[in-house]
Amino acid sequence: MPKLIVERRSLLLGAAALAVAPSAFAAADLGKPAPAFSATDSNGKAWSLAELKGKVVVLETTNHDCPYVRKHYNSANMQSQQREAAAKGVVWLTVASSAKGEEGYVTAPQANELTRTRNAAPAAFLLDPLSRIARAYSATVTPHMYIVDASGTLVYKGGIDSIPSSSPSDIPKAKQYVRVALDEVLAGKPVADASTRPYGCSLKYGNNAA
Amino acid sequence: MRRLLTLLLVLLAGPAFAQSSVVKTDNIRAELISAVSEVKAGEPFWTALRLTIRPKWHTYWKNPGESGLPTEITWKLPAGAKAEPIVWPAPTLFNIGGVINYGYHDEVLLLSRITPPADATGSFALSADANWLVCEDVCIPEEGKFTLSLPVGTAAKPADADTSALFEKARRSVPMESPWPARFGLAKSGDPTLVVDAKGLKPQTIRDAYFFPAEWGPVASMARQKASVGADGIRIALRKGDAKAPEPQQIAGTLVLTEKTGDGEQRQAFDVVAKRDPAFVPTSALMATGSEAISLGEALLFALLGGLILNLMPCVFPVLAMKAAAFAKLAGHERGVLRRDGLAYTAGILVAFGAMAATVVGIRASLGDVSWGFQFQSPIFSLLIAYLFFVIGLNLAGMFEIAGGFAGVGQGLAAKGGATGAFFTGVLAVVVATPCTAPFMAAALGFALGQPAPQTVAVLLALGLGLALPYLALTMTPALQQLMPRPGPWMDRLRQFLAFPMFASVVWMIWVLTQQTGPDGVIYALGGMVLIAFAIWLLRLGSGSWLRRGLAAASVLLALAAVLKIADGPATAASTGNAQGVNFEGWEKFSRHRMTEAAAAGKPVFVDFTAAWCITCLVNERVALETPATRAAFERTGTVKLKGDWTNRDPEITALLKELGRAGVPLYLYWAPGAAQPKILPQVLTEAAIISELDRRPTCQSSSSNAARSC
Repeated sequence: MPKLIVERRSLLLGAAALAVAPSAFAAADLGKPAPAFSATDSNGKAWSLAELKGKVVVLETTNHDCPYVRKHYNSANMQSQQREAAAKGVVWLTVASSAKGEEGYVTAPQANELTRTRNAAPAAFLLDPLSRIARAYSATVTPHMYIVDASGTLVYKGGIDSIPSSSPSDIPKAKQYVRVALDEVLAGKPVADASTRPYGCSLKYGNNAA
Repeated sequence: MRRLLTLLLVLLAGPAFAQSSVVKTDNIRAELISAVSEVKAGEPFWTALRLTIRPKWHTYWKNPGESGLPTEITWKLPAGAKAEPIVWPAPTLFNIGGVINYGYHDEVLLLSRITPPADATGSFALSADANWLVCEDVCIPEEGKFTLSLPVGTAAKPADADTSALFEKARRSVPMESPWPARFGLAKSGDPTLVVDAKGLKPQTIRDAYFFPAEWGPVASMARQKASVGADGIRIALRKGDAKAPEPQQIAGTLVLTEKTGDGEQRQAFDVVAKRDPAFVPTSALMATGSEAISLGEALLFALLGGLILNLMPCVFPVLAMKAAAFAKLAGHERGVLRRDGLAYTAGILVAFGAMAATVVGIRASLGDVSWGFQFQSPIFSLLIAYLFFVIGLNLAGMFEIAGGFAGVGQGLAAKGGATGAFFTGVLAVVVATPCTAPFMAAALGFALGQPAPQTVAVLLALGLGLALPYLALTMTPALQQLMPRPGPWMDRLRQFLAFPMFASVVWMIWVLTQQTGPDGVIYALGGMVLIAFAIWLLRLGSGSWLRRGLAAASVLLALAAVLKIADGPATAASTGNAQGVNFEGWEKFSRHRMTEAAAAGKPVFVDFTAAWCITCLVNERVALETPATRAAFERTGTVKLKGDWTNRDPEITALLKELGRAGVPLYLYWAPGAAQPKILPQVLTEAAIISELDRRPTCQSSSSNAARSC
């Protein structure tokens, strides 16, 4: 016990040092304003979360070579959810946050090519080679899913569905968390499963410290 | 003859290599193996999926961490047979570009217990589908189908020696149930702090403590954990996980402790189930955590601010005061001199921080992911710093003047004039800043550690720059210098006054020391200071007789001897009184006399040197020494069992350890009957190893019918 008093005291000093700019320590917490970001999409268009206020936004981290991303694209699960969302006025942003040189890093033409070959329908394919968006949201895997409501509040974070496996045959059996959550958000209801276990490949931050 | 034996062995061993099945991929060799070569109907036995993993790749534990998936085995067994869930060996932590994973590298045996049907005859066929995810940087899901057919006999037969050894090793790596109760409290922020009531542990012997949460949800695996070990137990500050469940009432997981023992390091794993303790509300102590997104720019800014704040720390302040006094002396000098002084001071600080950064990077390169924090808790360091402050305080107060090459090296050099002096004052500032701010530094270093090498260095250098900045600004800015008063007698008064913050720092350091060593630390520290003051007084009497010098030297040596005493000290502070004592049930108390006497009488003697704070000893007791089978073997062989308790560094045992070239416990000795010398047994014991050691006896001596065994 005495030993811990030493720590706590000195910790106060340390805490004082760190308290100077607490904003940088803000994380992606449910029920709090979603971390702001701005990025350029594969067509050169600039996006920022602030400008999307009033709309429900879905963030989907992607890495096209990850077996878990492939699971949901090869089975067309991801694309059909993107189309459903678009039909309901939801802005679905696919984000490639792999660092340059890492698996899943894409250039703008490659991203467009992916959207074409995957027959995907996101509102935009954001390029995040410095992993800024992923870091702001503490994303750990691909696909890691987030929903921001019309007021800019983070209302969902976690996995795309409830069965963490790489087998597409599990998709029909799984609860599609994002689809269910989106329906709840659009109906003005609180999200029941607001934080679920994300599963997939580790996000390829590489040497991106920034 | 030998050839014949070999042939015989091959024939005998034949069934043991029954069709075990192997699946090979680019990354893994997977094999289903069994601990028995022949099963008995209705009697459970162990199987294992043995994964031999490509170097640098890994597979996952039951909780894979922030990404990845655990290995799954689906059994297909004949009707009436039963398979139990996987028993997982303790995991290893992998940091994949900042994403924390829990799993295995090189080789792992995932154990499953199988019970054949009670009416099994002929052969028992097992088949299993397994799938696993194997990752390096990229991940590949793989799968395999395995079959194994084992003959059913009247009794279970163990597999061949190699396979048995594999199973033995695997069982040893499975966490054992925690011998200590555990609880946790939730801070206001919801972050849990885990307390394992392991009383009487020695903080110095535990290099690392990490809690692997058993499931996703209540605890965030991304966050850096802050562990401290004290006489009252192990305390680990965790960060709450992402599960939506309101407040966990129970947290389960595996606690892995890395213990320094006489022969190096031992990793010990314990399954812990902690219950919520509503009365315990920890102050949220987590600061720099791996999951926080901060950019390099922000990190540098923080570090710079942190460095500035370091100037106000109780320990650094006096150094700064020394600097201010020196500056007052320099006042009126040319600007060039001042500037050079400021730059040299800054350089000293940056070099010291650079050295620290190099150490951090070096440690990380050699040890992989390091958790920092235990290094700063050395009582020796606290005591030496207290001495250093004390001497500086005496100097400031005017008890003595520094004449070339006297006193502590740091201060001696720091007291030199000119740029060299300024440089070493900078180094000194960093050295003294460390103990006062250890936890803060630990947090900063913790953050720095998680970064690639260039960022680590940059962050630490920014911290140093922050520390140097006020003085540097003063020397560089003539406008600020105008504010400094002219030299005069006030300088001496100021200098003497500055002795008081220095002595205050000494008080603080002694207080820190007592927290580390218990009340005895005060005696040694204050006694040492009296001796140091005495030595200084003797030397001040003039450069006189050898007697005086000798006395002074003896005093200083004695004061330094307190350091050694302190190093020993925690044993008395930490383990007397509240320690769970060593259990002597079934054992005689060790004495050298009893040992040699029993050995001389031709009896087998087993000696166990243990200590209440030794975790490896405890584990050995649980898994090997105090099992029914081992007890029976001791009984059967009439072995004299002696136990030596080294909790408080019993001198007789210490002497024996030294003779045997050991630095500490655990140590196990076995005197075979009639042996002239004891055999030193391995530090990690297994039941099988002890029993085979004990059973070696009858075949050597008697004409027992069991002639196949050799000596």
